[in-house]
Amino acid sequence: MAASIATRCLRATRAPYSLFKLAQAAPVARPSTRFPLSAFRTFSTTPLREIRKYTKDHEWVDLSADKTSGVIGISEYAAEELGDVVYVELPEEGKAVQAGDAIGAVESVKSAADINAPIACRVTSVNMLLEEKPGTINQVPEDDSHGGGWIAKVAVDEAGVKDFENLMDAEEYKAFTGSEE
Amino acid sequence: MGNHGHRPTEWPIRSRERQMASAARTLARSRIHSLVRIPRAPPPAPLHHRRLFSAEAVAHPTNRVQIYLSRSHDPYLNLSFEHYLLQKSHPDSVVLLLYANRPCVVIGRNQNPWLEVGLGALNQPALLAPPVGRAGGVSMGDDADDADALGVQLVRRRSGGGTVFHDLGNVNYSVLCPPAAFDRDRHALMVVRALQSLGVSAARVNERHDIVLADEQDASATFKVSGSAYKLTRLRSLHHGTCLLSTPNLDSVGRFLRSPAAPYMKARGVDSVRSRIRNVGVANAAFEEAVVAEFGAMYGNVDVEIVATRDIKGIPDVMRGYEELISLDWIYTQTPQFTFSTRPTEDDPRPRPPLPDYLPKDFDLSITARHGQITEATGAGIETSALDSVYLHKVSDWRPLIGKSAGSWLNVMFGARPYDRT
Repeated sequence: MAASIATRCLRATRAPYSLFKLAQAAPVARPSTRFPLSAFRTFSTTPLREIRKYTKDHEWVDLSADKTSGVIGISEYAAEELGDVVYVELPEEGKAVQAGDAIGAVESVKSAADINAPIACRVTSVNMLLEEKPGTINQVPEDDSHGGGWIAKVAVDEAGVKDFENLMDAEEYKAFTGSEE
Repeated sequence: MGNHGHRPTEWPIRSRERQMASAARTLARSRIHSLVRIPRAPPPAPLHHRRLFSAEAVAHPTNRVQIYLSRSHDPYLNLSFEHYLLQKSHPDSVVLLLYANRPCVVIGRNQNPWLEVGLGALNQPALLAPPVGRAGGVSMGDDADDADALGVQLVRRRSGGGTVFHDLGNVNYSVLCPPAAFDRDRHALMVVRALQSLGVSAARVNERHDIVLADEQDASATFKVSGSAYKLTRLRSLHHGTCLLSTPNLDSVGRFLRSPAAPYMKARGVDSVRSRIRNVGVANAAFEEAVVAEFGAMYGNVDVEIVATRDIKGIPDVMRGYEELISLDWIYTQTPQFTFSTRPTEDDPRPRPPLPDYLPKDFDLSITARHGQITEATGAGIETSALDSVYLHKVSDWRPLIGKSAGSWLNVMFGARPYDRT
């Protein structure tokens, strides 16, 4: 048991670090964002649907079709790697943050792990359910509905939209985490 | 495993000197070292000749391996320095920091002091054993107020996990590294190797990532000697742990880590897991030296930088973190929501201990507090309206708020002064 936890932690934390290195090469190595975006649209049944993207730190963010609001959470990959979440420190409502700023934290197995803002945004509401039932993060981390494990709803401006464009879509994120297995 | 006694504080010992040191240690143990002449490596430079601390060097990319020993015994200052290193050290670097704190109770980031801590016991210096003499191997501190009878200070750290007691018979190690290298057991195992090099062969890491020693009386039981906690940020990971070496306060720790309010409280956040503890029985300097050697074996040997209190206090970023750590806001109002109820409730159906006779017969009280502030208070046999919006930590006496008998009882529950019930 101890060994398996240790292995899981190791994998969990390898990802952001190696991506930190990858990010240096990203401008050269990465294809234009046009391709993944158009590929994504073929899956979408309605243009009004929110688009979900992921950070190398394993947060996800949905951007509304009108690009003014979003929802933030942590990825299934991260939730599994962290282990049993025992407390979620929710972001402060009304707080305006830059991409990468710590907006909250999750505690699991004696570890307080920062939750970072995937994009510049202002927190408009937080998921109070997580305070009462932190385990929801382990069960449905990517569910943005009532009863889901989403963390915060945010207002987004132009800077946030720009940050959003630089994130990974689902396919890219899957490849990213897959390469860490 | 005895106390090694009079080890001089001749560390850091570089690896090439280590073999000699080991030989010297063996001889010291046999207490005949003064009779035997052994070839010696050049004696280490006195501590004050060591490399002086430089805040610029912390972040410098060439400093891939850094080792610091804090001379401060101030828990808030040491934790703030540690946090500074977490934020400022180069993302690719590996850093070891060693420090010992004067008596304090340290709660985890998401814990509840009223539930975890015997707050009323903290301000009773009489509960503390007299500090061990310097000859007992306690590393020298340079804080002016070391000798003061401060009682036990309450600290909330930034990492997760449960509540622990520190004093100068406990050495804390912390390792900062890139998240890629993070593993909850890696550096606990490093400390186990250090302990084993000191002859503590029974040390091992358990499934809770704690270091334990086998109970010689009962093979299935263990004593905890070291606990771990972690903090993960975007670029860095921190693992810090305690190591109980020679605390004279083992008998009092239970008083500090037990709250009279616990049977009445239900809290969100993180609960501590109780463990039996004991001392390892080695001197601080010997432990520090052994940990430095094992860290050096993993990452490469570098000089230890001795960091004086005034060096730490000279760093503005550290002092900003320090101001936050000592603030009552951080210590108390960071507390997750909790309820305190004198009778079983739907949410907390545990049977309650009998209430003292001096309370009114029909006495009943139920409090909900969020961020340490009462959001709801209901009761019977008392008037509760004065409790609305009260911050628990700001109340030094509950009697003016809810009357003499109930107030006296809450003073005991929440560790407010005065204690007298008259």
